[in-house]
Amino acid sequence: MLDRRTFLQGLGGGFGLVGLQGELAGASMDPLAVRQPHFPAKAKHVIFLFLNGGISHVDTFDPKPALVKHDGEPMPGSKIKTDRASGNLMRSPWEFRNHGQSGTEVSEIFPEVARRIDDFCVIRSMYTDSGNHGPSLQLMNCGHQLPGRPSMGAWITYGLGSENRNLPGFVVLCPGFPVLGSSLWSAGYMPSVYGGVHIQNSAVEPEKLIPNLRNSQQLSAAEQKRQLGLLERLNGKYLSRVGEQPQLESAVQSMEAAFRLQAEATDAFDIRKEPDHVRARYDISDFGRGCLLALRLVERGVRAVQVFYGNGQPWDNHDDIRVHASLAKKTDGAIGALVDDLKSRGLFEETLILVGSEFGRTPMIQNSGLEKLGQGRDHNTPGFTMLMAGGGVKGGMTYGATDDFGFKAVEKRTHVHDVHATALHLLGFDHTKLTYRHAGRDFRLTDVHGNVVRDILA
Amino acid sequence: MEACQRRFTARGLVAYNGSMLRAMLTVPVLAIVAQAASDGDFFETKIRPILVSRCHACHTKTMMGGLRLDSREALVRGGKSGAAVIAGKPSGSLLIQAVQRTHARLKMPPTGALPKEEVDLLVEWVARGAVWPGTAQAPAAGGHEFWSFQPLRKPEAAAVGGIDSFVEAKWKQAGLRPAPAADRRTLIRRVSLDLTGLPPTPEQVEAFVTDRSADAFAKVVDRLLESPHYGERWGRYWLDLARYSDGLLAAGVDTPLPNAYRYRDWVVNAFNRDLPYDLFVKAQIAADLLPEADRHDLRPGLGFQAIARNADDQVDVTTKVFLGLTVGCAQCHDHKYDPIPTKDYYSLLGIFRSSAKDQYALVSPEQVELYERRKKEADDRKERIADFLKDQQSHLVDTLARRTADYMVAAWKGAEASGKLDAETLARWKRYLSDPDKEHPYMKPWFALMATHPSEEQVRAEAEKFQKFFLQLIDDAKEVDDKNYVAFGGRKGMKDEKTRQYTNIVSLPVLKFYQWRELAAEPYRKDGVDWPGGVYYYSAKEMDRWLNGFARDYVETLRAEVKAIETEMGPAYPFLHTLKEGDQPRDVRVAIRGDGKNLGEEAPRRFLTALCEGEPEPITKGSGRMELAEAIARSPLAARVMVNRVWQHHFGHGIVRSASNFGQMGERPTHPELLEYLAWRFQESGWSLKALHREMLLSRTYQLSSRTDAASNEKDPDNKLLWRGHVQHRLDLEALRDSMLAVSGELDSTVGGKPSPIGDSNFRRSLYLTVSRTRLDGTMVLFDFPDPNATAEDRAVTAGPLQGLFFLNSPFVASRAEALGKRLAKEAGEDAAARIRRAYGLLLARGPDAEELKLGMDYVAAGGAKLWQQYLQALLASGEFTSVN
Repeated sequence: MLDRRTFLQGLGGGFGLVGLQGELAGASMDPLAVRQPHFPAKAKHVIFLFLNGGISHVDTFDPKPALVKHDGEPMPGSKIKTDRASGNLMRSPWEFRNHGQSGTEVSEIFPEVARRIDDFCVIRSMYTDSGNHGPSLQLMNCGHQLPGRPSMGAWITYGLGSENRNLPGFVVLCPGFPVLGSSLWSAGYMPSVYGGVHIQNSAVEPEKLIPNLRNSQQLSAAEQKRQLGLLERLNGKYLSRVGEQPQLESAVQSMEAAFRLQAEATDAFDIRKEPDHVRARYDISDFGRGCLLALRLVERGVRAVQVFYGNGQPWDNHDDIRVHASLAKKTDGAIGALVDDLKSRGLFEETLILVGSEFGRTPMIQNSGLEKLGQGRDHNTPGFTMLMAGGGVKGGMTYGATDDFGFKAVEKRTHVHDVHATALHLLGFDHTKLTYRHAGRDFRLTDVHGNVVRDILA
Repeated sequence: MEACQRRFTARGLVAYNGSMLRAMLTVPVLAIVAQAASDGDFFETKIRPILVSRCHACHTKTMMGGLRLDSREALVRGGKSGAAVIAGKPSGSLLIQAVQRTHARLKMPPTGALPKEEVDLLVEWVARGAVWPGTAQAPAAGGHEFWSFQPLRKPEAAAVGGIDSFVEAKWKQAGLRPAPAADRRTLIRRVSLDLTGLPPTPEQVEAFVTDRSADAFAKVVDRLLESPHYGERWGRYWLDLARYSDGLLAAGVDTPLPNAYRYRDWVVNAFNRDLPYDLFVKAQIAADLLPEADRHDLRPGLGFQAIARNADDQVDVTTKVFLGLTVGCAQCHDHKYDPIPTKDYYSLLGIFRSSAKDQYALVSPEQVELYERRKKEADDRKERIADFLKDQQSHLVDTLARRTADYMVAAWKGAEASGKLDAETLARWKRYLSDPDKEHPYMKPWFALMATHPSEEQVRAEAEKFQKFFLQLIDDAKEVDDKNYVAFGGRKGMKDEKTRQYTNIVSLPVLKFYQWRELAAEPYRKDGVDWPGGVYYYSAKEMDRWLNGFARDYVETLRAEVKAIETEMGPAYPFLHTLKEGDQPRDVRVAIRGDGKNLGEEAPRRFLTALCEGEPEPITKGSGRMELAEAIARSPLAARVMVNRVWQHHFGHGIVRSASNFGQMGERPTHPELLEYLAWRFQESGWSLKALHREMLLSRTYQLSSRTDAASNEKDPDNKLLWRGHVQHRLDLEALRDSMLAVSGELDSTVGGKPSPIGDSNFRRSLYLTVSRTRLDGTMVLFDFPDPNATAEDRAVTAGPLQGLFFLNSPFVASRAEALGKRLAKEAGEDAAARIRRAYGLLLARGPDAEELKLGMDYVAAGGAKLWQQYLQALLASGEFTSVN
């Protein structure tokens, strides 16, 4: 059970943070109450667009002229060990061009992101620890390769609470399930209110997205109010009999909140309420509609939204990298629209946007008997790319670099833990101080690792 | 002090280096701050991380080369080669020479030189005087002297007053006034939910309330302990610890553990028959190695290990659950707080690595053999059918392809199928030719021609050209397949992940492949591709109409044979998920910093050093699981940890609040003497859990009212000293759902059996809901069901609007209210007041007061089932029904 002390301690974290502890001491036991971070934050919300399966960096945001030159040749140097048998180098089937004032090169399959590339920081020097989807997804989402830890969204919601008590603090949108499913948005050892509420956004009607949003008995609002009134009378009597019980009170209040949620969520989760010209730009895929939903949720104070591209691992193009073009077609425009609309609604500066996947893909052809066609790329862990934008991120820059072929990050190497540390920093947290005490140990999202990537802070 | 320490521990880069921080707190805070601004900060942010990540794996408790690098004293003292550091003199310091690799012999780390920046930092640090803030040694009291490692002590004579004497002594000390005793209705509801997870029936309540005998409550407790529902409640607590699940975490859905429920049922049964706890422990580690007589009975207990992710998970969960020790922390480095060196971790790992997961059939070997033989017969035939049809599919493509030009022309004309043309295939061609947007250039001439209003002659000529090209393409594709077949050594199933072949393959050029796929390939829906199947592709199911009499007879005969065999074979035989001894038990080597590619010395298979007098005996025969099981059951921690878990569920918190961590970083017991007393009694009683429950429940402390009191609340708001009964603000998922089903009269109280998913027609107890590690049910998560990927010592209890929606809107609660309404009508007749009284009795173990009765009467005054349902739904959602006090 969550006791007050445990709850407050991890959040306190701040040695020398005058006032925070006192403020917390007066706070209610409400685990989602809004809390101030360690220092003034740049961002208040996070939208994590997750292209599950592993997007190829050398075909999208990390151009490698050497691949064109050496297309079809073995990679120089000693034979590199990849997950499965890899063949020769393969050039990207797509052209790269410079875009924006920054002149950042972007592949032709992401024209809309390219048009807004000055809003993005392109981290080209990412690396991670495991070449298998499972552990790598777990690491990117929860900071550890093993399951059972809280996800980044859970950490953020734990740290900041939620601004809209009529909606969940952390929402996960995925038509179906990514690999490893619910363990990627788990609250781990934290109370489950911090975990992601998974919504299968293959439908658009709010009542199909949120369980129990509509009364199963079709009670009218008046009937429901009467029922709620009765419930409040009964609970009031009970509370006065047993005396002050703050935990009981919060359970009782959740009924009132639920009543409000019916209206609020019906509105928030209904993308049909957006004007046609807004909707049209997102109406290209489930992922696109998920981006629009993310916009509406953030607009209403939801703390963290994660949009997974789709069921399984769509970007895992082992046998034919050209499939990336059709995937990008269903992705690119929605990311662009999301950036525009966050800006027009005044939310861009306070929303941190992350775009990425569990790892990248090899510059070489994957050529193993597991595939029908030898035109794809295998998993690449030593080097890949992530995009960041919005709250507190310096736009129009690239950070770090991979080697000539895009295999390994060589300049300003950035680990997954560093991205987590940076995200928490932008949200106002020292990642070494945001802790949760469990089983006698203070746990962190970044475990004992992580450095804030200061060069990309605006 | 503890609170400070917590806040403070988070400060360093190494979150779990608390001993140093504790030490630092003993000096004035200002001094720390001043120092921290300079050298101290430099050490914490730059130097300590290097030492931790690069050196500590070998140079803390393991003391390779006799050297420790976890305190300034140790550095100065040095190892076999002398002082590691001379403050202010980098060039004369062995540490620096070793990392610079200038020393003739010492070149550290042995795995390869450090990056230059790190070497430079170390040089700078030594030059600046090697400042190490505070006195940072390994935990001073971290050895065998730590309280929880001590042998159990026989309680003193003072303990004759039992539990209450310990608790009362603390009240006195703290000047707390205890709450009065709870009334009988509250008490029977509390104890019924505590022991069985179900509310008492009104009849049980009345019997207790009117029972004037001295042992009235004892009778209630005994009745509940004899109920089969007791094991269902307490077994579930255990299953939280055992990270019980009906499948293993996997990519898409769980890898099923179809018989895991047999372990679950065994746990329930073990509680119900009061299996001595020491045997309960041993069964879950080494049932297969216990004396023959016990094996049959205890073997299902090995499910505890068989549902593990791997051997590392087995080490971690086994030590946390049975010993309350976080041995898993020692996988990559010596435990930072407890006397658990890395080597100990690998000693235990060796034991589990020397064991193997197994399936233990619950039928005779003959039956197993017969089943497997039949299964193979059926599988062989299925394969023959599939191979034959695949061949036929390929011939069909070949055949149809030879009419390609005819199809194209007919499609162009918009003609109906006639002659040799097949209607469905023609329809497919029409669809295919309606969209000129192709991912390859091979249809370009055709579509270019279409734009020119061509004559039939021109069209036919172009179609013939394309047919020729496509027939060649089919041949090319076949050649590619043949080459790959040879490359695979004549094996089938190139795409079969199970065969895991890494042979290089050849393939068609990608654009040609696209053309081939559009006309000939099977459907492919994976990795972002949604390919429905080629124009000429007909699935195995669709093949029937293309087969001639002989071919169809062949397939149908084989299908009939499969059916006959499967009927005879019956369902899969039952088995247990267990462990067995591995083929070659052996020690494993320490993986330095947890890196399996960087192996250190061998760790002999043996028990934890901290829990042994002197050096533990190495195990040389078998895996060592039997010895491990015995050692765990003998350990004083086994008894302490378990009595604390039982206490935790009866009183809301453990005497040690960190129930799975009895180490340095765990909490200290609030009532140490009481814990000793209970642990001793537990052992003395022959490890009887039921006796333990009885003793706790019959204490005055358990029976206190949960009413709060301002003065006491001021002194002890967390009720650490147990001056009042525990208030749980919401029943957990199981008790909540089961209570609703119980009061509505719908509960299916069958004990045991296969799991089934949560759903409208599932009336079984929640214990039997399917538990998934990959797709944990959303409603279960909503009510705080713990993530079954990890051991859970405790349930968080949260409230939120989504839970409110469940109570107000879900069909589940509405249906219970409806059923409850029908039950009331049956049991209490037409009189509304009588119905309301009955409802209060069923739900709340009491009658309504006048106001409550009036509230109810007013609500349903207009009459009708619908209003009754709304009213009863509010009662089911009420704070009083959904909580226990």
